[in-house]
Amino acid sequence: MPNHQGLRRRLLPFLVALLTGARLMNATAWAAGPHDAVSIVDVFRGIGITAAAAGILLLILVQYVYRKNIRHGAYHRLLLVGVFLLPLTATWSTTTTVMEGTKLVQACASCHVMHPFVNDMKNPSSPTLAARHYRNNWIAKDQCYACHVTYGVTGTLAGKRDGFRHWLHYVTNTYPDPIQYVGSYANSNCLSCHQGTGKWERVKSHQALLGELSTDRIACITCHGPPHPLPKERTVATTSK
Amino acid sequence: MCPPPDEPNELTRRELIKLMGASAGLVCLAPLAGCGDLWERQAVIPVDNWHKGVCRFCGTGCGVMIGLKDNRVADVKGDDEAHNRGRLCIKGLATRDILYSNGRALYPMIRKNGELQRVSWDEAMTLVAQRFKEAIQTHGPDSVAYYGSGQLYTQESYTANKLFKAGIGTNNVDGNPRLCMASAATGYTTTFGKDEPAGCYEDIDHAECFFITGSNTLECHPIIWERVRDRKRSHPATKIILVDPRRTFTAKHADLHLPIYPGTDVSLYNAMIHVFLEHDFIDRDMVENYLSFKEGENNRTFEDFKRHIAKYPPETAAKTCGITPRDIREAAFLFASSKATLSLWTMGLNQQVQGTASNRLVSAMHLLTGHFGRPGATPFSLTGQPNACGGVRDTGSLSHALPNGRLVANPKHREEMEDLWKVPRGRISPKPGYHTLTLFEAMNRGDVKCCLVMCTNPGQTLPNVTAYRQGMEKAFLVVVDAFHPTETTRFADVVLPAALWVEKEGVTGNSERRYHLYPKLVDPPGEAKSDLAILVDLADRLGHGDLISARTPKDVWDEWRKISAHSAYNFEGITYERLQKERGLLWPCPTENHPGTKRRYLPGQDPMATGTGRFDFYGKPDGRATVWLDRQEEPLDPYTDEFPLILNTGRILEHWHTMTITGSAPTLQAIHPDYLEIHPYDAHQLAIKEGDPVIVKSRRGEVELRARLTDVVRPGMVFATMHSARHLVNQATHDVCDPFSKQPAFKRCAVAVQRKTA
Repeated sequence: MPNHQGLRRRLLPFLVALLTGARLMNATAWAAGPHDAVSIVDVFRGIGITAAAAGILLLILVQYVYRKNIRHGAYHRLLLVGVFLLPLTATWSTTTTVMEGTKLVQACASCHVMHPFVNDMKNPSSPTLAARHYRNNWIAKDQCYACHVTYGVTGTLAGKRDGFRHWLHYVTNTYPDPIQYVGSYANSNCLSCHQGTGKWERVKSHQALLGELSTDRIACITCHGPPHPLPKERTVATTSK
Repeated sequence: MCPPPDEPNELTRRELIKLMGASAGLVCLAPLAGCGDLWERQAVIPVDNWHKGVCRFCGTGCGVMIGLKDNRVADVKGDDEAHNRGRLCIKGLATRDILYSNGRALYPMIRKNGELQRVSWDEAMTLVAQRFKEAIQTHGPDSVAYYGSGQLYTQESYTANKLFKAGIGTNNVDGNPRLCMASAATGYTTTFGKDEPAGCYEDIDHAECFFITGSNTLECHPIIWERVRDRKRSHPATKIILVDPRRTFTAKHADLHLPIYPGTDVSLYNAMIHVFLEHDFIDRDMVENYLSFKEGENNRTFEDFKRHIAKYPPETAAKTCGITPRDIREAAFLFASSKATLSLWTMGLNQQVQGTASNRLVSAMHLLTGHFGRPGATPFSLTGQPNACGGVRDTGSLSHALPNGRLVANPKHREEMEDLWKVPRGRISPKPGYHTLTLFEAMNRGDVKCCLVMCTNPGQTLPNVTAYRQGMEKAFLVVVDAFHPTETTRFADVVLPAALWVEKEGVTGNSERRYHLYPKLVDPPGEAKSDLAILVDLADRLGHGDLISARTPKDVWDEWRKISAHSAYNFEGITYERLQKERGLLWPCPTENHPGTKRRYLPGQDPMATGTGRFDFYGKPDGRATVWLDRQEEPLDPYTDEFPLILNTGRILEHWHTMTITGSAPTLQAIHPDYLEIHPYDAHQLAIKEGDPVIVKSRRGEVELRARLTDVVRPGMVFATMHSARHLVNQATHDVCDPFSKQPAFKRCAVAVQRKTA
C-alpha cells in the first residue's frame, strides 16, 4: 500500500501534465463549424495527442526515473501500457481524427482549390444546389461530405484513389484550372435523401427516368443543377482562409 | 543463411515465402486488373469526343454537348458555357435517343393504289416536279403551296421561301409558326414596328417582378423557369404573378395566381392599366416623348386612351375574368411598383381570338409604366419551336411576309427583295398567299393542287382538324419528315425521308434573338437527306436552279446574313466562323467585331438605334412605340346549355407537340397524355368518376379521353393536351382565328362532356 501511495504521489505531476496537454489541444483545435460546440474530431484529436504524449512521458519516467523504486511486476505492466496500449490508442484516435476531420467543411476550405466552392456554398444569395442545401439547413453538418461520400473511412476504393490523385496533382501543381468534375456523379447521393419522398415520387419525369437515374446514365443535376458555380462564375481562390 | 540447395530447381523455404507473399499481393490487386478507371473516374456512358450543339426541342434553345461513340450519338448533356448553364430538361436529355427511334422515315415513298410504296429518290422527285409543273402551268403559280415549320433550319426555310416567292411566283408560303407565334409577331410589329422581343434571357437575372401570363413555364420552358426560380432563390423578395386559367405546377410557385377565364385577357390588362392610371404609376416622359396611341386606323391621344381605359375598372373586369378586383389591383401594384418587371408569355396569350390585342396590351403595360429597356424590365415572349423566330419570322416565310420584316403587300418591300434576290422586278406576286387555315381550306376547295409540307404535322395540329383532312387527301401532298407514319404522312402522295437534328447542319434563332449553329455530326439513316438538299433538288427540277445558287448551309447563311444588312435585323456580323466558335450571338450584330445586342431600341446599346434620347423606336416612322386601344370582345364559341363547359388545351413537361419525336423516345414513352382534366364539381354533376372514359363533344367534333378529376381546372372548365394522335383533341377545337395574326384560338372552345356508355 505505501508503495502504491508513493507511486500515485510521484505520478501526480504526470497526470496534471496530461490533463493540461489535453486542454491545450482542445483550445487550439480547428475552429468549430457553424456550431461552436466541441466536435467529435476535437475529442479524438485530444485523446490521440494525449495518449501519444502520455506514452512517451510514461516510458521516460518508468525507464529513467522510477525504475529502481517500483516493483518488477509494476515495471512490466507500465511498460506494456507505454509501449502498446497508449500508442494503439494514439494511432486509433489520430486515424479517426483524420477521417472525421476531413469530413468537415473547414477541412475542404483549407485547400485553396476549394475556396470558390466553399465561398459559393456560404453565399446566402447563391442559387446553386450546394448553397441552397447549406443555407436552408437541409444538411445539418459536413455539407461537402454529405454529397461526396466516397472518401471517408467507409468510402470506396475509387474515393481513396481520387484523393491520392488530387493530392498528387496538388503538390505537383499539375491540376487543370478551372478544375472539373470527372466521370459520372453517383445519383445515389441525391436519391438516398430524396427518393421515396412524396414530392419526389409525384414527379412523372422521375418515374420515367428511374432506370437511367439508378445507373447514373442521367444525372439529377442535369435538370436541377448546377451544384456548384460554373468556371466563369467562381470567385478567385484566396491564399488564406 | 541458407546453404546453397543441392538441386538448383528446388525452392528454398525463403523463396517459397517470398513467392507466396507476392502471389497474395497480386490476388489483392486482381479486382483492379483490366479496369479503365485505375487513375480516374470514368463516365458511365463511354464517349469518344464531345461537340457543341443545340437541343432539338423548344424555343429556349439550350446549348448541349453531344458525345459521339463509333459515329453515333451516345450521350447528350447540358453545355456549361451556354445560357442554360449546363441544364437540360427531360426532353433535352432524350435527344440522346431520338435519332435511333424505330419510327424514322428511311426511304422515299409514293402512293400507288392507295398504298405508300418504296421508290428511288429520282422517281419520287421526278413525280413531285412533274405534278408541281403541271399545276403551275395549268392553274397558275397560286395552285401550289409550301407549308413549313419552325423546326427547319434557317437555311431551309429561307431557301423554300425564296424558291416559292421569287422562283415559282406564289406567296403561298406559310407554316406552323402561324399556329404558334403569329400573334406575338403581330403584337411586336404593331407596337414597335419590328418583330422579335426587345429583351433577352439575361433580363431574368435582374427582374424583381415576373408577370407570367398564358404560360405554364415550369412544364413548357423548364430551363427558363429554373432561371426565374434562381432569381427568386437569390432574391426572395422577387414576386411571381401568374395569369393562367389552370392552377398549373407553375402556379404552385407563384406569389399571386389569377385564374382568369380563357379569352378575357384584354379585360384584365385594361383593368391593370386602369390601376396604373388611378395611382399614377405612369412614366410621363415615356408618354410624352416615346409613345403614340392608336385605335384601329385612327390616331388617338393619351386623353382618349384614358377615357377608353375608364371603361375597364377592376370591379367590372373582375366579373368578366372571374377573379376578384383585389387580385387585379394587387397584380397591378406589384407590376408597377417593382424596380424591374419582366413579362413572360407564350401560347396562352397567342392562341386566342384576341391574341394580337393581348400581346400588345402586355407591351403597353411595360411602356406606360416605364418598365422597358432597363435590365430586367421588358416584355418577353417565349417561343415554342427552336426556329420559329430565326427561321420563319425573320426570313418572312409566311404568306403575308418577305424577309426581315418586309410585307408582300408593300410594293417598295417587294422591289427591295427582288433586287436583293436578283430577280426581275414584278417577279414577287403582289397578292399575299393563303395563311394556314385558308391554305388548307383552299385544298378542301381544290384551289391548291399541290402542297409541299416540311417538318410538321398539320394532320394533327390544325384546329377542327377533321374539316381539313379531306383537303389533304384531295391535294397532291408531298410530306418531308424524319418520321413515318404521322397523322400527315397518312394523307401524303409522296413521303420524303428527312435528316433530323445533327444529321444535318444549320442555324436556328431562339426566343431571345440568339442565332446558333447545329453541327452535322452523324449521317442520316437509310436514304434520308437534309431538307436543304431536297429543296435544292426540287429547285433544279422546277427550273429554278440558277435562283437557288447557294446550296450548302454555309453558302445559304452567307447569302442570308448579307441580305439582312439591308434591314434593321442586321446580323451580317454573325459569320459562320463565329457561330462555330461561340454559343450563338444575339442580333442585331452588324459587324464581325460586334458582340451582339442584349436590349433593343436603346441608343448606345442597339447599333440600329441612332437617336439620342432614352429610346429610339426605329421601327416606327415617328420613332414612337404604339399603345393600342383594344376592347374586350364577346367569345365566338359561346357556352350554352348544350355545350356548357370551356375546353382549354396545352402541354406537359415530358412531351413535345404532336409527340412525333418524344413519343418514340424510350424514356418518355411510358408517360401518357390522354386525359381530360375536369373539376370534381362538374364530374359529380355529370356522374363521371376518376378514370372513366368520357366523350368531349364540341360543335365541330368529338374526342374520347379518360377523366382525371382535379381542382387544377376551375369548375366549368376542362383541359386536354394537344400531344396525342390516338385521341385528337383538335377534332373538337375551334378553327376561328385572330383577325390580325390569323392564329387559331386553340385555348378556348365550348364543349359538352359525357361519360361514355358501353
